Amino acid sequence: MVDIEFHNVSKRYVRREMGASAPAPPLRDRLFQWRTRRDEFWALRDASFQVERGEALGIIGHNGAGKSTILKLLSRITAPTAGEITVRGRLSSLIEVSSGFHSEFTGRENVYMSGVIFGMSRREVIAKLPSILEFSGIGDFIDVPVKRYSSGMCLRLGFAIAAQLNPDILLLDEVLAVGDVPFQWRCLEHIQRMKQDGRTIVFISHDLAAVERLCDRAILLSRGRIVCEGKPQDVTLEYQRSTLLASEPPEHEKGVSRKIECTNFTYQGANRAAGEPVRPGEAMSLRVDYIAHETLRDAVFNVYLYWPSGYLCTQLTTADRAAVVDKGSGCVEFFCPVVNLRPGMFLVDVSVERCAEVVDWRHRCATLRVDEGPVVLGDIYMPHQHSILANRAESCAASRLY
Amino acid sequence: MTRPVQIIRPPSFSIREVARHLARLTEYRDLLCTLTLHRINLRYKQSVLGYFWAILHPVLLLLLYTILFSRFASVPTHGAPYAIFAFSALLPWTFFSNGLSGATVGLPAHSNLMSKVYFPREILPLSYVFAALLDLLIASLVLVVLMFYYGYRLTAGALWTIPAMVTLTVFLTGVALFASSLQVRFRDVGIAMPLLLQVWMFATPIVYSRSSVPESLRRWYDLNPLVAIMETFRGALLHGPIPGPLLLTESMAVSLLIAVASYAWFKHVEATMLDVI
Repeated sequence: MVDIEFHNVSKRYVRREMGASAPAPPLRDRLFQWRTRRDEFWALRDASFQVERGEALGIIGHNGAGKSTILKLLSRITAPTAGEITVRGRLSSLIEVSSGFHSEFTGRENVYMSGVIFGMSRREVIAKLPSILEFSGIGDFIDVPVKRYSSGMCLRLGFAIAAQLNPDILLLDEVLAVGDVPFQWRCLEHIQRMKQDGRTIVFISHDLAAVERLCDRAILLSRGRIVCEGKPQDVTLEYQRSTLLASEPPEHEKGVSRKIECTNFTYQGANRAAGEPVRPGEAMSLRVDYIAHETLRDAVFNVYLYWPSGYLCTQLTTADRAAVVDKGSGCVEFFCPVVNLRPGMFLVDVSVERCAEVVDWRHRCATLRVDEGPVVLGDIYMPHQHSILANRAESCAASRLY
Repeated sequence: MTRPVQIIRPPSFSIREVARHLARLTEYRDLLCTLTLHRINLRYKQSVLGYFWAILHPVLLLLLYTILFSRFASVPTHGAPYAIFAFSALLPWTFFSNGLSGATVGLPAHSNLMSKVYFPREILPLSYVFAALLDLLIASLVLVVLMFYYGYRLTAGALWTIPAMVTLTVFLTGVALFASSLQVRFRDVGIAMPLLLQVWMFATPIVYSRSSVPESLRRWYDLNPLVAIMETFRGALLHGPIPGPLLLTESMAVSLLIAVASYAWFKHVEATMLDVI
């Protein structure tokens, strides 16, 4: 059973307003503005996808890629320019209900008001008032005007109302980004419960880890088009790759002499084809092909691996052993007996350096993928052995666990 | 449990859909009711006189017009005391004018709410109309007192106020929906509204009677649907001349036409309202 179906949906926005700094057009143009050419912008272009009942779909993409447009279309806040959307079931979004609060009114009055606005009947709101009060933990403040609330109290009360809505389809838009840690936990718990109840979920987030945890499937949007669809892990990796490969090259890449040029980078796990994902704990070899335009005495080859966040994770280098690189082509091979990287996508920079001179620097020239291996928790995989020894309780007091 | 199925398509203008929209609107009656009460509660928050303003406002206007038009300039009133003559029309007019000016600015004032959740947007302007209607009910207490004071009795003719009020409400709804849908895009509407209402008030028999208008102009004068409504309302209460069922029927037909067309237009604009607000 399909709960949500997008069929070639497009959404066009028209920018009519001009910036304050732009020169005012002549009155004649302004009067006939709607006839003149307008500045158009497609927020969504020919999007087609389906969400099955009980499925959690994650939508990721850069700002302005069209994620929120999908939510707005689904919740009917705006209408599509072309195409057709079918929605089966009651739909509600777990958004900041509190942003619709009116500050002059008391918490109680706002609960009545918001509850009805978000689709409950008055009777339902009255029936659910005790559980809303309990969930929010507002206490006596319920009869105080909302303008006297702290922002956290507003948030809690808003969420307490949202949690009472009972939709078939739940829309989530960056909800986890607000509130303190216990509040976020409560949000997550609630969402997990909704998911276990078999509700359909559409989740929009920049928190890729949350998408991977919560969703069964994900789509990647770029400039209003769906560019990738599949398992959340694959889609988030694709997203990270597209983000990081597009990042600006650093200063030191400019002005390189290119006396030696790196031409290719490959990696290969033990018993795997080249370029296939490696696994933690396995052996791996990396290879950099080069062409030397002249002979260099003290060239150092480096391979840098970056976390998806752009932080340097580790470096492989030939700096410990000075090498003479003869003119002509060749390759450098690195061998790692044990891969102890965490599963995920790593970005690769390759460089050739010489004392203070950068000979060549290839920024983000490849990606290295590590699949799920024997150990998945934590930042790195630490190679280890173990043995269990019985009756050794009297061992050294200094190493007791606290 | 059956699930509602919704098919969302690009907006299109359709008169035939009006009945379906109205049916959907009834599902949201709780919201309309809550928003209407909210409207009234909000207006009098942090005010000392509170609901008393609903009475005070028309009474002060009444004093002003009574001094102006019975002391400084005299207006023929078919023998009725000027105060009650003016008030019997001022009352429905205040309803019309408050409802319209509120509804016009209502949508942009709630853009924050509209960007969060869907509900039939016409509920916002309608809530202003209904809030004004509640104000009218409160203020009509003053009319009752005035009638008692001047010794007017309620006769069977007073029943004419019912079709007059229905027509007025329908007309106001139509105009309010149209004006508010325009205001979303062109704020000029809201700016021009006070002036428009001023002109409209003097083009309607409120502080004077329809019989003061020269015969030759009356054909044009009667095009204003409010003329028949106000005259009927006043005539029914003050045992004066009622302009005849034909004129009221005409204005009822016009009002209905305007309301249906405005509603269809509003629903057409509604879907993408938030893109331009």
